[in-house]
Amino acid sequence: MGTKEIVSTIIAEFPYALYGSIIVGALCAFLGVYIVVRRVVFLGAVLTQISVLGLAITFLPFITVSHTVGSLAVTIIAVIILSRLLTGKKIPRDAMLGFIFAFAIAARILILQKTPKVEVAEIENLLRGDILFVTPELFYLMLGVFIAAMIVHGLFFKEFTYIAFDAETARTQGFNTGRWETLFYVIAAVVIAVATHIVGDIFVFGFLVIPPIAAMQLVKPVKAIFLVAFLIGALTPMLGLLLAFKFDFPASPAIIAVVAVALMLAWARNTLRHK
Amino acid sequence: MTPLIEFQHVTLGYGRKIVLPDINFTIHAGDYFGMVGPNGAGKTTLLRAILGTLKPLSGKVNIREPLRFGYVPQRDTIDDILPYTVQEVVMMGRYRQIGIFHRPQKMDREVVMESLRHVDVADLQNRAFKDLSGGQKQRVLIARALASKPAVLILDEPTNGMDFSSKISILELIHRLHAEDRLTVIMVSHFLDDVANYVKRIAIVERDFFQVGELNEILNEKNLSSLYQMPITVTQVNGKKVILAGERRGN
Repeated sequence: MGTKEIVSTIIAEFPYALYGSIIVGALCAFLGVYIVVRRVVFLGAVLTQISVLGLAITFLPFITVSHTVGSLAVTIIAVIILSRLLTGKKIPRDAMLGFIFAFAIAARILILQKTPKVEVAEIENLLRGDILFVTPELFYLMLGVFIAAMIVHGLFFKEFTYIAFDAETARTQGFNTGRWETLFYVIAAVVIAVATHIVGDIFVFGFLVIPPIAAMQLVKPVKAIFLVAFLIGALTPMLGLLLAFKFDFPASPAIIAVVAVALMLAWARNTLRHK
Repeated sequence: MTPLIEFQHVTLGYGRKIVLPDINFTIHAGDYFGMVGPNGAGKTTLLRAILGTLKPLSGKVNIREPLRFGYVPQRDTIDDILPYTVQEVVMMGRYRQIGIFHRPQKMDREVVMESLRHVDVADLQNRAFKDLSGGQKQRVLIARALASKPAVLILDEPTNGMDFSSKISILELIHRLHAEDRLTVIMVSHFLDDVANYVKRIAIVERDFFQVGELNEILNEKNLSSLYQMPITVTQVNGKKVILAGERRGN
């Protein structure tokens, strides 16, 4: 199959996979700038695992809520608890996140072992996110989350960036930094929960980290960093899906490989420019 | 003299841990007020209480309303991983006035430039904040505080980690802002020399040794030797106060 035919096939047969991965990529990349700047990259990894745990919980026989609702609820509750736990000084932040990360993975495995509903392999596929079989319902939910998150971030861009840069001074000016932080993390939790259901944990975590770093290598103005990260997040899934079809690769790893190459190119360009 | 900030039997701390018990003092309009003390003694805690970001465990902090603070944090508390320009950093000082849902207007940009000119760094406006020297960064942070049009300028360890000339230059700038603009200034430092030759009134911040008063009545050998639990000599060289560790020898 030629490239043109593959593109036509993807658009015709898997439109939700294509558009879903584009909006997830763009949104995760945009939010990822904050995650990288706040130096809470590990929190991104923890939240993806918690959302996967939330999905796993919905497979327990006595749980009747939908997968998405379960994942959302568990992730939002976790992020609210985390925002309190991480400000404590008794246990280092990294150690706390490491504990939750390990706990979330272990709990998911234990839950799956006791799940009679369907085969574990099928559940694992769902938990990892199967891009090609995104349902219209999930896609439109993600689209709604995308629009809402971008509106909130567009309206409060200066507040979010100020608090990420210097929360202490913002607090002295009367900004309720605790509430702004909670709003940011709840939005991140919702995005991560829904996105993980659609594209899987590796895709989500990869896009929270890689495009922002690539954007920081390519441009200097702060607004441009957000814009370039957003564009890398939006464009690389298309190329990844194309390569996945052409060479018969699984979609998520192919997309991550493409965005990783984008980062390496950005790095190389930056290094050569400063030589 | 108009009292701006008044502490009445204030006890400060976190949870059950008391850091500073039963504090009483007043800061007046036009004061140049220094706060010194060893590391961990409670200077930042006291500052947070003045700024209203820490509620007292008991007692009352009276702030004359409306009182706008211009806060200059310690430089190393700012994580400048994103390459904000100097202009963008100073504009942050206007965010409260600009308000939620609004964007900076022409007037805000003029205030930002006026603040940068006032601290002699207008030529740095398009440079990345993260690429500046320690002294330049401090001036930009002071400009950001001034951009909020404060009545009180509060500086937390403004000369920390600076070389000698940058340190003197920053202290002279702060002095000028106080003398020419009649700004009330509160400066926290653990360098006694920083405050000894600039401020008018001083607080020695230590749990069981909290004292407030005129510079000469507080910054004397007896007080400082008790505070630091070692002999301290206070002397004058070329009309400037010099504080040295060790016993006084001769004159």
